[in-house]
Amino acid sequence: MADLAEKLSPLHELAMPRSGSDKVILSERLCDSLVQVQAWPDSVGEVEKQIKQTRGKRNVMPTGPGRWLIDDQSEGLEEKLRKKIGAELGAVTGLTHARVVVSISGEKATWVLASGIALDFDVTAFPIGTTQMSHHHEIGLTIYRVGENSFDLYVFTSLVRSFWHWIEKASAEIGYSVI
Amino acid sequence: MRLTCPYCGPRDHQEFTYRGDASAVRPVLDNTSIDDHNAYIYDRTNPDGLHRELWNHTSGCRTHIIVERNTITHDVVSCEPVGPFAEQLK
Repeated sequence: MADLAEKLSPLHELAMPRSGSDKVILSERLCDSLVQVQAWPDSVGEVEKQIKQTRGKRNVMPTGPGRWLIDDQSEGLEEKLRKKIGAELGAVTGLTHARVVVSISGEKATWVLASGIALDFDVTAFPIGTTQMSHHHEIGLTIYRVGENSFDLYVFTSLVRSFWHWIEKASAEIGYSVI
Repeated sequence: MRLTCPYCGPRDHQEFTYRGDASAVRPVLDNTSIDDHNAYIYDRTNPDGLHRELWNHTSGCRTHIIVERNTITHDVVSCEPVGPFAEQLK
């Protein structure tokens, strides 16, 4: 894939660091590599094997039958996976520029998310290290639970400003900070 | 109303998109009867009671499911996966 322009934050001035309550801590992260891999029904096992064999420090999130979203902490994962997963095994799609990660943590993080997202955020229903897909006012979200009170939300780049407005307003009631 | 996605579990119906009557059968490609194609596109029985319908989990795993639902009470009787991964989801 051709190199795209330098990554720029779509949130820009909205997500500038500011101090406040530590009950909710918000931050923004741009991915180094974010890749979706979709296996065909008869190649799920082989594609999973190829993903595991591709080295890197990453988070592999199952997002559907035979589908994974892979967030890697180095650039170039899409090219690496394309070499291993051809069209006979599945489809590799680069989403590095298509999503922004909004991270939320703090003792009230779950409370804030539950106020607008119709998911069961109890840790028994949504364990640490697992992924759930949902939406907030029709903005699709892939939510990864980092810890009991810590989440990474993968949000469409073109809609993340709208989502950020909501999450700030939802956090304002109890106070928040941005790092 | 909640629908049970075979991949994601029980979810609010707003995460899903209604994709139409699951009992409508598309005429075969070499069927040139306008009446048959017209019936497939437009004719619906609109039952009061149990109805089989296609839903897509748009805000989730994007799997299609067939929902059997009571159109009067909104009671959901069953949610079955369809499509290429249906067997793996059963």
